[in-house]
Amino acid sequence: MSPPRPPQSEGPAPVVLIVEDEPQIRRFVRAALQSEGCQTHETDSLGRGLIEAGTRKPDLLILDLGLPDGDGIELIRELRTWSCLPVLVLSARTDEADKVLALDAGADDYLGKPFGIPELLARVRALLRRARRSSDSGPIFSFGQIELDLAQRQVRRAGETVHLTPIEYRLLALLASNAGRVLTHRQLLREVWGPHYVEHAHYLRVYMASLRRKLEDDPTLPRHLRTEPGVGYRFVA
Amino acid sequence: MQAAPASLFPYLWAGALVAGVALLASPLRDRLDQANIIMLFLLAVLLAAVRLGRGPGILAAFLSVAAFNFFFVHPRLTFAVSDVQYLLTFAVMLAVALITTHLTTGLRRQAEMARHRELRMTALYEMARDLSGALSLEQVDEIVRHFVRRGFQYEACLLLPDAQDGLSRFGPAPAAGIRQEPPLEPARECARSGQARNDSGWHFQPLRSPMRIRGVLALSPPAGSRQLAPEQQQLLETGASLVAIALERVHYIQVAQEIQVQMESERLRNSLLGALSHDLRTPLTALVGLADSLVLAGRLPPEEEELAQSIREEALRTSALVHNLLDMARLQSGPVALRKEWQPLEEVLGAALQARASQLARHRVQVELAPDLPLLELDAVLMERVFSNLLENAAKYTPPGSTVTIRAGRDPREADRVRIEISDNGPGLPRGRGKSLFEKFTRGRDESAIPGVGLGLAIVHSIIAAHQGRIEAGNQAGGGACFSISLPAGTPPALPQEEA
Repeated sequence: MSPPRPPQSEGPAPVVLIVEDEPQIRRFVRAALQSEGCQTHETDSLGRGLIEAGTRKPDLLILDLGLPDGDGIELIRELRTWSCLPVLVLSARTDEADKVLALDAGADDYLGKPFGIPELLARVRALLRRARRSSDSGPIFSFGQIELDLAQRQVRRAGETVHLTPIEYRLLALLASNAGRVLTHRQLLREVWGPHYVEHAHYLRVYMASLRRKLEDDPTLPRHLRTEPGVGYRFVA
Repeated sequence: MQAAPASLFPYLWAGALVAGVALLASPLRDRLDQANIIMLFLLAVLLAAVRLGRGPGILAAFLSVAAFNFFFVHPRLTFAVSDVQYLLTFAVMLAVALITTHLTTGLRRQAEMARHRELRMTALYEMARDLSGALSLEQVDEIVRHFVRRGFQYEACLLLPDAQDGLSRFGPAPAAGIRQEPPLEPARECARSGQARNDSGWHFQPLRSPMRIRGVLALSPPAGSRQLAPEQQQLLETGASLVAIALERVHYIQVAQEIQVQMESERLRNSLLGALSHDLRTPLTALVGLADSLVLAGRLPPEEEELAQSIREEALRTSALVHNLLDMARLQSGPVALRKEWQPLEEVLGAALQARASQLARHRVQVELAPDLPLLELDAVLMERVFSNLLENAAKYTPPGSTVTIRAGRDPREADRVRIEISDNGPGLPRGRGKSLFEKFTRGRDESAIPGVGLGLAIVHSIIAAHQGRIEAGNQAGGGACFSISLPAGTPPALPQEEA
């Protein structure tokens, strides 16, 4: 395993709020985040979590869904009425429907328990990077051999222009501008096709497959357009 | 003198009536006009026709003419007639009397029919009212038998489909109120064909509801009664369709109750499994994370770092076992609720390959999907478990460097199915273990160093079965194990057309 990365140098240390009722889990999550150069605050209940999110102005919220005083999804819904703070959900539940519920409520990503520290830090970095980038993002995304030019509405793969249908383009642009987040089927269908199509998940899957064939080296084992079974898709830059 | 049979009484009455008029009018024959005496006789004929019916009416008509002739027409007390004009009088009198008889008996019959019809309609309305409140088969049975008794004076019983898809009489074993058990073979024929039929003294009426035939109503007419009149037949059909609708409603009430119980038990099961999952995973998460913290702190001597790594590995393995056990519990504790959606197989397979990427890192993986592979209606999460488990097995039971091949295409033998094969070029499955591999806690090699408790394939089997699929395990001709899955292809939904 790689040694911990040195604290991030750009800007002030990011502030992370951890809402988790299990002290041992809080302990190692805190240690991992501090080794990453983050400043951390912790609470063990929904009520306190919501207050801390208001007063501490964190850059990221790590939230356990199964808290003793209620459902974490309620906290996300409440939070989303006044804040677009990135939320990473930790869940020990097996049911994908819970993850979808949390994501649809406004969570940005989820991590199933048990998870390792490298996984946790990768997700945290992606969310923090996204939050920073959204303020100064240029029109061009590049990932692997692919270049997505939002200004010119063009996609190039290894320098060659790739022809995408309007829907494929909209889908790719939406996923790429949410890199690192998991977008649920419902969210993607609503944004790309419109609110009447949220039950037509097969549209999405078919277009996703054709996007992968056009952009991925191995469409069966995609590097960028990842599947989250039963939940949605995640774009990995 | 012997008593006359009952059917003769009306005729005697008719005779007596005419005689009475003759006796009454005789003393008055000098004061009354003959036309009025004829009126009196016609009144007698009318009374006879109204009260006693057609035959006595006709008798009264003839007797009246005769009596008038005998007692009131000159010469009296003989049938001889002095004035030929009287012949016309007799003819008109007879004609009027006969026509009166005919008309009044017709009216009488219609009134009688109307009364019967009203009785039956009342019975029908009452049944409709009672059936609308019936919530159980017992109530329906009782109401139907009451209706048939009132409307037809027959005994009846309901024959309903039983658990073996046959028909059997509904109700307690020694039948109450019916002479004998109805024969079942003609009843089944009636239910199959949907046509009413008469057989061995029973009348069978199918109970046809909007959805299907819900049973048969068997009527047992009393011995010696006539066939059903068309009007009765119609009443019976109307009644039968009311009963059928009531039976259908009772059926759906039962279905709704069952679904409610099922949903309740599923909710309970999910919350129990959810709590269990939470309680088991929380300490494992702490173990994995704390072991990671030790390693990542980078202050441990190499040997102890290895120990920390082992703690992490074991915790992750325990977690995989917990995952399998919870899945098995979910799959075994009742009907599996699938979240089926139409999707390309490639995506589900890709997710499984991604999940097993680390285990398969030292294997070669070949994916050969037919270009015409249709969308399949699958539960993405469960099917991902299927492929994950099969790929994990392939990785576990073959040496590094082996090739795992995944092939999928239309089944060459069954056009409406899709066949997916996951094969390897490893040592293959032990001989004669084909079926038992899919049982719980069965392992490919009993005492091996390869970890696992043998739940993986049992889970695979349950999930495939829930998708109406089949799975077979075998060895390939060239060596190596091969798991082949067959799934129904179905009819994928249409896709939107978009210009390129």
